[in-house]
Amino acid sequence: MCRPSTATAVLLLSALLAGGCSRNRSASGGGGAVVTLTYWTSTNRQEVALATELVGKWNRLHPKIQVRMQQLPVNQSTEEVIVAAVSAGTTPDICSNIWPGSVPEYARAGALVRLNQFADFDSLVRARMSEAAMAGFRSEDGNSYQIPWKTNPVMMIYNRQLFRRAGIANPPRTYSEYLADAGRLTFDENHDGVVDHWMGYRDVRPIWWQRFFDFYTLYCAAAGDRPIVEKGGVTADPQVCAEVFGFFAECFRNGFYPKTFFQFDPFIAGNVATEFVGPWTISYIKENYAGQIDYGIVPVPVPDSYRGPESTYGDHKCMVIFSTSRHPAEAWEFLKFLVNEEADLRLLQVASQIPVRRDIVWAPSYRSFFDANPDLRLFASQALTAREVGQSPDEKEIFDTISQVFEECSVYNRSTPNEAAAALLKRIGAILAWNR
Amino acid sequence: MRNRASTVAAYAFLSLFFVAFLYPFLWMIASSLKPDLEIVSMGLTSSNYTLGNYLLVFSRAPVVRAFLNSLIVASAVTVSVVLFGAMVGYALAKVKWKGSVYLTAFLLFTMMLPFQLTLIPTYTLIVKLGLTDNLLGLILPNMLTAVAVIMFRQFFQSIPDTILEAARVDGCSEVKLVFKIVMPLAKPAVVTVAIITFLTSWNDVLWPIMVIRERDLMTLPQLVTTFVLGGEAESHLGAKLASATLLAVPIVVFYSFFQRSIVQSFASSGVKG
Amino acid sequence: MMLRARSHGWLLSSPYLVYAAVFVVFPLAFSLYLVFHRWDGMAAPVFVGLGNLARLVQDPLFYRSILNTLEFLVIHIPLQIVFALLFAVALNSITWLRGFFRAVYFMPVVVSGVVVTILWQQLYSYDNGVLNTILTHLGLGRVPWVTSPALAMPSIALMATWKNVGLYTVMFLVGLQDIPAEMHEAARIDGATAVKRFLRITVPLLRPTMTLVVVLSTINGFSLFVEPYVMTGGGPLNSTLSTVLYIYNQGFYFGHLGYGAALGFVFALIILVVVLIQRKALESA
Repeated sequence: MCRPSTATAVLLLSALLAGGCSRNRSASGGGGAVVTLTYWTSTNRQEVALATELVGKWNRLHPKIQVRMQQLPVNQSTEEVIVAAVSAGTTPDICSNIWPGSVPEYARAGALVRLNQFADFDSLVRARMSEAAMAGFRSEDGNSYQIPWKTNPVMMIYNRQLFRRAGIANPPRTYSEYLADAGRLTFDENHDGVVDHWMGYRDVRPIWWQRFFDFYTLYCAAAGDRPIVEKGGVTADPQVCAEVFGFFAECFRNGFYPKTFFQFDPFIAGNVATEFVGPWTISYIKENYAGQIDYGIVPVPVPDSYRGPESTYGDHKCMVIFSTSRHPAEAWEFLKFLVNEEADLRLLQVASQIPVRRDIVWAPSYRSFFDANPDLRLFASQALTAREVGQSPDEKEIFDTISQVFEECSVYNRSTPNEAAAALLKRIGAILAWNR
Repeated sequence: MRNRASTVAAYAFLSLFFVAFLYPFLWMIASSLKPDLEIVSMGLTSSNYTLGNYLLVFSRAPVVRAFLNSLIVASAVTVSVVLFGAMVGYALAKVKWKGSVYLTAFLLFTMMLPFQLTLIPTYTLIVKLGLTDNLLGLILPNMLTAVAVIMFRQFFQSIPDTILEAARVDGCSEVKLVFKIVMPLAKPAVVTVAIITFLTSWNDVLWPIMVIRERDLMTLPQLVTTFVLGGEAESHLGAKLASATLLAVPIVVFYSFFQRSIVQSFASSGVKG
Repeated sequence: MMLRARSHGWLLSSPYLVYAAVFVVFPLAFSLYLVFHRWDGMAAPVFVGLGNLARLVQDPLFYRSILNTLEFLVIHIPLQIVFALLFAVALNSITWLRGFFRAVYFMPVVVSGVVVTILWQQLYSYDNGVLNTILTHLGLGRVPWVTSPALAMPSIALMATWKNVGLYTVMFLVGLQDIPAEMHEAARIDGATAVKRFLRITVPLLRPTMTLVVVLSTINGFSLFVEPYVMTGGGPLNSTLSTVLYIYNQGFYFGHLGYGAALGFVFALIILVVVLIQRKALESA
């Protein structure tokens, strides 16, 4: 009597095993030698639209190399998904949503295809960027595992109406000007005794990548070409670090920035006068609040003593080919298709994001787009000098440390800017030592 | 007289907290129907109510598909946990064998382990089994839980041995005992375990994020999380709240049907701890 | 008879044995292996001996995260017990609408933590959150719920209480209903006040429920993760960095899976000790 019951249980188990819903992974059609490539994009709506269009076109042109598109969750765990996929060998052939700071880690694990093995790699890269710019994307071993695809250089957007009302004619260029203006742009409009308009706003949560858009943007703008870490050593400029920490400390201490986090965009709501943003904000405003916000775009502020060229953080995304690919040559062809002149134009038109191309500002093919979108031309002009994070395998941890020090000094005023800069350099050194 | 005063006080007290428990949900629903810039207000009314936020969510995320995926996964996990949990729980509670002590100790031990400890090895395993982007990858690792086994064990311990002995004397086998005599008696435990398992499975986010990348295979909470934290909701707070509402509604409807059962099952399992 | 029972024991337990071998023992063994290795989840693991443990004993953030988790427990558990008990007593004293109130109080328990956290992020917002708007309408100042290092963890504990209190209310309610009404009646005739009856009759008879509530919420509290992960990211100034969040950060964010595994093992030991002490104390009290 016990046997049938156990058998029932086993049957149920196997029914569960077999009955689940699954998707056939090898969906290649009948025609003999058809190669199928998997391509991961971000879930950003415009990028999905762009990828759908480009993949469709490619598939029509190349019946023997079919591409299947999958979306990668763009949330706090994007890197986890890729790390897990790398450790499990389930990476796609190509991914276009790679943060450059994560490339060294993947490369060290042998997860990426060395792109400079392809004969036309050099010519492709030379057409897109200067040698100096490319150096920032080269691995410490001298090889290249990524093709910089697009950039979202960070600039300062400001609310013209608020500035006008405060009687300020020009947006600030230096820290002192910014802080002086901040005193007049931070106020209590409805007179309930609580400030409701601020100069700016930064998410105060210690989320490492949030520091790209405050500390690191201003660091890039003020430090010239000194990276935080290079070739396994700490190279950050302590003076600039202290200045940037001190600038934000002033903003928070004087209440120019609220110590909070909003789930909506306070700039769009008209509650803050300035914000550090990439071009995506412009397309978002155009799409949802066209004509409702009178804004201007200028480079981010710099220390009063700074006398160098304009620079900023570039927020690049790269394309890579994973070494799990069984068809790297075909994947390379597809990758080149994704960054050709026409695809780059579609990137501008569909997603309002700036392709990494040295000729972007003056090439005739893009001129009419920029004539119609003068705001984006401003961003494009920053693209050529915009900087990226370093190429050490510890970038995330380094930015987590920056975030902690930023919190201690700038947000909660627990240390002076000079102490903060010293602590930052020391802690980054400790991270590098542990990870050796 | 005193009794009436204390009753009034009880109602007043309960009504106060009734508002504290209900208002946030009402606010969420109301806000999900407002244009973004009005959400900052705490009121529930608006002259500009709109379904725009919901249309945005539905146009950008496969909500219905995700709902069905969640239903499939949670149902499969629940059936499995109840069936196997009851079998094992019975073995630990009513079968006199040496292994039961060790197995119970082991179960209690595993209950204390933070699940993050085994996340990556389990994921690696799922990959080796070829179950990523497959709902089975969500089902298999959750087909049994230590908690369910322990709950069944505790319930079965309360069943008098005399009933079982009588059946055994009649020549009934242990396995038959489980399904013919014990399970019908254990209905409250079955309901409790089923409900808790179903809800836990339904609400899980981290594991689906690891295993599923194909949008059409995502579960509802996963879809909402990626929608809210990811790029699709952009800065539309209303759309975020609308997606959160869509995530809450099925479970609240489910709850409104089984609310009494949940409470009653806690009556049978809770007090014996 | 003995042999039969033994074989049936193994037979009936076989689903768990198979499951545990695959999904508990293997991952556990793999994690134990990782304690002595450095592994980024991708390249081959490197043996480091006791290196991870040596780093752990001098890691200030690990101690901080343990203290934070304990702080959460110390605030959350009493808060939860007091409110659950109050709700249960109030519910037990009424009949009309009892089921309705109970249902509403229980609702946050079943709703996804994602929903609750998205919602409370709005309620707690400093500048225009619902809670601070109420306070300003009452003429009180705003409270930096989750942006003050001192208040952030208590705020998370409050949110967790809101989410879970319904569960424990129901458990207490069941315990209350099991107390025979005659006991209260007899005590009342003897002249005992309501408070006295509550302390002398109700509380002692609720002991088993109390034990269960404490043990369950301790174990749940030790796995605190989603709330700080979504709401505060562990800040401000690491005040809401729970141990599980720290393990998650080290293991998954920074790719120190070996170190994360070491943290996990030591943390599991600590949990074990705390729960054992708690049980002993509750049973002998």
